[in-house]
Amino acid sequence: MADDDDVLVRVENLVKYFPVKAGGFIRHTVGQVHAVDDVSLIIERGKTLGLVGETGSGKSTLARCVAGLIPVTSGQVIFDGRDITKLSRGAMRPLRREVQMIFQDPYSSLNPRRRVGSIIGEPFAVHGIATGTERKRRVQELMERVGLNPEHYNRFPAEFSGGQRQRIGVARALALRPKLIICDEPVSALDVSIQAQVLNLLADLQTEYGLSYLFIAHDLEVVRHVSDKVAVMYLGRVGEAAPKEQLYETPRHPYTVALLSAAPAADPDTAAARQRVILTGDVPSPIDPPPGCRFHRRCPKAQPLCATDEPKLLPEGVSAVAEITAVVGQDIHLTACHFPVAVGENLATAARAREPA
Amino acid sequence: MSITEVQFEAREAADGQSIANIEGRSQWQLTWRRLRSDKVSMIALAVIIIMVLLAITAPVFAAITHHPPNVAFPNTGENAVGLPVGPFTNGFWLGSDGTGRDLFIRILYGARISLFVGVVTTFIAACLGVSIGLMAGYFGGIIDTLLARLTDAVLAFPYVVLAIALAAVFGPSLTIIMAIITFFSWAGIARIVRGQTLSIKEKEYIEAARSIGAGPFRIMFLDILPNLMAPVLVVATLYIPAAVVFEATLSFLSLGIQPPTASWGNILSEATNFYQTSWWYVVFPALALLITTLAFNLLGDGIRDAMDPRTERILAARRMRRQRKRRRRATAALTGPTKDFPDPARQAPGI
Amino acid sequence: MAIIGYLIRRILTGAVVVWLVATLAFFLFFARPVITVARQLAGRAATPQVINEVISNLGLNQPIMTQYWHFLDGLLHGNLGYSYFTQESVDTMVKQDLPPTLSLVVGGVVLWLIVGLSVGIISATRARGPFDRVANVLVLIGLSMPTFVIGEFLILVIFVPLNQHGFTWIDTGYSGPSQGLVKWAGHMLLPWITLAAVQCAIYTRLTRGQLLDTLSEDYIRTARAKGLSERRVVFRHGVRAALTPVVSQLGVDVGTLLGGVVITEYVFGLGGLGQVSVQAVFQDNLPVIIGFVILAALFVVVANIVVDFLYASLDPRVRIT
Repeated sequence: MADDDDVLVRVENLVKYFPVKAGGFIRHTVGQVHAVDDVSLIIERGKTLGLVGETGSGKSTLARCVAGLIPVTSGQVIFDGRDITKLSRGAMRPLRREVQMIFQDPYSSLNPRRRVGSIIGEPFAVHGIATGTERKRRVQELMERVGLNPEHYNRFPAEFSGGQRQRIGVARALALRPKLIICDEPVSALDVSIQAQVLNLLADLQTEYGLSYLFIAHDLEVVRHVSDKVAVMYLGRVGEAAPKEQLYETPRHPYTVALLSAAPAADPDTAAARQRVILTGDVPSPIDPPPGCRFHRRCPKAQPLCATDEPKLLPEGVSAVAEITAVVGQDIHLTACHFPVAVGENLATAARAREPA
Repeated sequence: MSITEVQFEAREAADGQSIANIEGRSQWQLTWRRLRSDKVSMIALAVIIIMVLLAITAPVFAAITHHPPNVAFPNTGENAVGLPVGPFTNGFWLGSDGTGRDLFIRILYGARISLFVGVVTTFIAACLGVSIGLMAGYFGGIIDTLLARLTDAVLAFPYVVLAIALAAVFGPSLTIIMAIITFFSWAGIARIVRGQTLSIKEKEYIEAARSIGAGPFRIMFLDILPNLMAPVLVVATLYIPAAVVFEATLSFLSLGIQPPTASWGNILSEATNFYQTSWWYVVFPALALLITTLAFNLLGDGIRDAMDPRTERILAARRMRRQRKRRRRATAALTGPTKDFPDPARQAPGI
Repeated sequence: MAIIGYLIRRILTGAVVVWLVATLAFFLFFARPVITVARQLAGRAATPQVINEVISNLGLNQPIMTQYWHFLDGLLHGNLGYSYFTQESVDTMVKQDLPPTLSLVVGGVVLWLIVGLSVGIISATRARGPFDRVANVLVLIGLSMPTFVIGEFLILVIFVPLNQHGFTWIDTGYSGPSQGLVKWAGHMLLPWITLAAVQCAIYTRLTRGQLLDTLSEDYIRTARAKGLSERRVVFRHGVRAALTPVVSQLGVDVGTLLGGVVITEYVFGLGGLGQVSVQAVFQDNLPVIIGFVILAALFVVVANIVVDFLYASLDPRVRIT
C-alpha cells in the first residue's frame, strides 16, 4: 500500500454523466451518457499512470475531471490533500499552477493568431508571475529546454511542424512548474519517428523536475514506453490495472488480451505466431450500459453470470466479499472480471468459437 | 492554417556575425498585401479618402466661394423666376438649391454628417455587438438564450416604425438618429460574432487557456476575439454604407436631420419639388450618396476577398495558368506541339 | 406531429412578442405628463376644449396601470383608438389604408422573389459568364442605392418623360384592382420595382452564393455521375439545399420590407399605412402611430411564423429542436 506522502492525486468513486436532452415542447433530459462510472485511482509523485482505452471509454473525460476542467457528477478528486471538486473557480485558480494539460491535436491546441512567445508566456501573465523582459527570458529558457530555437519567439504556430508544436504545448504546460501534467494522447497525431522524440522529452522532464504524469493513449506500445502503472478502461470503468510489466506479460482481463493481440508487432515471426483475438458483438451505447459486466456482450469468455453481476476490481485470488483497500495505480494487479484469463489460456480459439456461423 | 510568407532580414549582431531573423507575417500584413493588389478596392479606398478630405475641408471651400452652407443668396442664387441656377453660374460651382444656397457647399457639409454618422454608429455598434456576441457565445446557457433572443428581436424589428415612434415622442434630431442606427446595427454584428464564438469555443486552444487558469474575459478578448476580427471587419465595412443610407432615408422622410442643416437626405427631399426644372439639384446629391455607398461596398467586398486565404490560391492558380499559357505559346512557337498538346495527326488510330 | 408542436411554440412566442411590443409602445407614449399626451392624442389642431375632452374620454388622469388595462382590453376587442385629428376611428383609417399597402407588399415580394431567385440561379449555373458579370454589376449598384433614390430615379426617368408624351398608364397615386386591373398595374408597377430592387440585389447575391457552394458539394458530383440531367441536378438537389438559408433570411428581411414599404408609399404617394403614419408624426396624431406600431409588430410576427413554417418543411432537422 503506497504511503500517503507518495500519493499526489487520489480519485475516489468518480462519476461523470452527461445529460442527453430532447426537444419537443420543452427541452428535457431523456437520458445520461455514462462517460465515467465509478472510477477510483491514485497517481504517485514522480510516477506515470498510463490510461488506455478505445474511443468512448471515458479516458479523456476522466482526465478533464482530474484537471478540474469539467464539474463531476459525484465523487472526489483529492490533489495534494485538497478536494478540488468542491472548489469555486476563484479557489481553483492557484491550483491551476500545479496541474497542467498537454493536448492531442498540435494543430488546434495552439491559437493560430498568437505568437509562440505569447502562447508559452500566457501562464506567467495569467498568474502575474513575470512581466516584460523577465517573462521573455523565461519563455526562451523554456523553449530551449524543450528543444525549440528561442529565436523563434515571434513566430506563429503555423510556421512549425507538428512535433515542434507539441513541444510548444509542452513548454506551455511546463511554464509554472506544475506537479502533475495530464497528457491527453499527446503523440497520437504525430509521425512515428517524431513520437519517440516527444516521448523522450517527456521522460527527461519527468526525471529533471520530478513531474507526475497521467498519460492517456490508445496505443499500447506508446503507453508501455512511458508508464509505471497502466489502467485499461472500457465504457467508463476500469477493467484492469497493474504495474506495467505485469499487465503486458500476464494480462488477465479478456479485453486487455484482445487489445494486446491486436497491436502490430514489429517482428514478423512474432506477428505470425501471435493469435488475433477477434471480438464480436455490438459495442454498447454509453447511454444505456448493459447490466452486469460492460464487456460481456463482446467477451469470448462470457457466462450467464457476467450478464447479471457487475464484477468488482479485485486483486488475484481475492473473493468479491472481502474488504478491498487496493486501488488502481498501486503495485497490485487488479482485474474486474468473473473469469479472468489464466496464464497460457488461448483466447483466440474461444473467440472464434463465438463467431456467428 | 494560413499560408505564410517568409521575410528574410539579415541583422548584424554585436560581435559582427549576422543573424538571420526569420519572422512570419501576421494575418494583417498578408491581408494588406492582397488588398493592395486588388485595383478595384484601391480605387474605392482612394475615393473614400478623397470624400473624407473634402468633408474635413468643407469650411475651406465655403470660405473660397464665400458661400456658407446655410445662407441663402436670393440675388445670385435664384434666376428671374425664383428657380435655382445651374452649375457654374454666378460662382455656384454645382448650382444652387431651392432657396438660393450653394449646392456644392451643402453637399460637402452633408458629407460631414453622413460620414460622421456612418463611421461613429458603426464603431459603437461594433463594440457593442462584439461584446454581446462574445458573451452570448461564450457563456451559453441562459445568458445566451436571452441575448440571442434579444438579437433576433432587434434584427427583425422594422426600423422605420421605431424611427417614426421615437420621432413622435422626442422630436427628430441627430442624436436620436444615431441612437436608432446604432441600435439596429449592433444586432447583425452580434449574431455573426456569436456564431463564430460558438465554434471557436470548442477548439482545443480555448480549453488549454482554461486549463492554465485564464478567466472568461481574458479568454474572450485575448484568445477568441483575434480570431473573429476578420469577419467583424468585413461586416463593419459593409455596415458603414448601410448607416449612411439609413440616415439619408430618415432625413428624406423628414424624420432625421432637419433643415436648414444640410444632409444628403433632406437635400434630396427638397429636390423632389424641382426635378422638372433643375436636374442638378437632384443629380449631384444623389451621385454623392451613390459614390460613397458604392465605394464602401466595393472596399468591403475587397477586404472580404483579401482575408480569405482561398483567394490566395485562386489568384495563384490564375497566375500560374497565365504563366503556363504564355510559356506554352512561346515554346510551341519554337518547337511545335508539346507533350501537353499532343498532335492529333500523330495519334494512333483506333486508340 | 412534431411540426404541429413546433408551430404552436412559434405562435405562442409570437403572441408574447406582440404583447411586449404593445406594452412597450404604451409605456413609451403614455408614461409622460398628461398634458403632453393629451395634446399628442388630440392632434396638432386641437383646441383646449378638445384636449379636455380627450383627457376625460380616455381617462388620462387615472393611474397608469388602469389606463394600461383599458388599453389591453381595447386591443383584444380590436379597438385601436380614435384619431381626433381626422375625426375617425383608427380602425376605419386602417381599413381604408390597408389595400394600397397590401397591393404593394404582395406585388413587391412576388417580384423580388422571382427575379432575385432566378437571376441568382442563372448566375450560379453560368458562373463567371457574361450574364453573371452583368448581373454582378447590377447587384452592386442595387445594393448601393437607397430605396428612395431608386424611387425618385424611376419617377424622373420613366414617369415624367412618359407623362409628358401623353402616355399615362404609368401613374403615381393609388388605384385599386377593383377599378381595373390594368390601371392598378400601371399605378403599381414602378412602386413594385422600387420596393423589390434592393431586396432583389441582396437575394440574387445570396442565392448565387448558396447555390455555388451547394453545387460544389460531393453529393452533387455523385448525382451528375449517376447521369442525371443537369437541370434535374440543379433544381431537385442544388436549389432545394440552397433555398434554406434564403428562406431563413426572409424572416429577418420582413423588418426591412416594412421600411421599404413606408418609403415607397411616401415617394409615390400611394396613401397606404406607411405614408399615413409618417404624416401622423407631423400631425402629432398619436393614435394612428400606436395603431401602426402594433399592426407592424403583428405583421412581422405572422410573417416570421409563415417563414419558419416554410423553413421547417424544407429542413426536417429544424422540427426536432
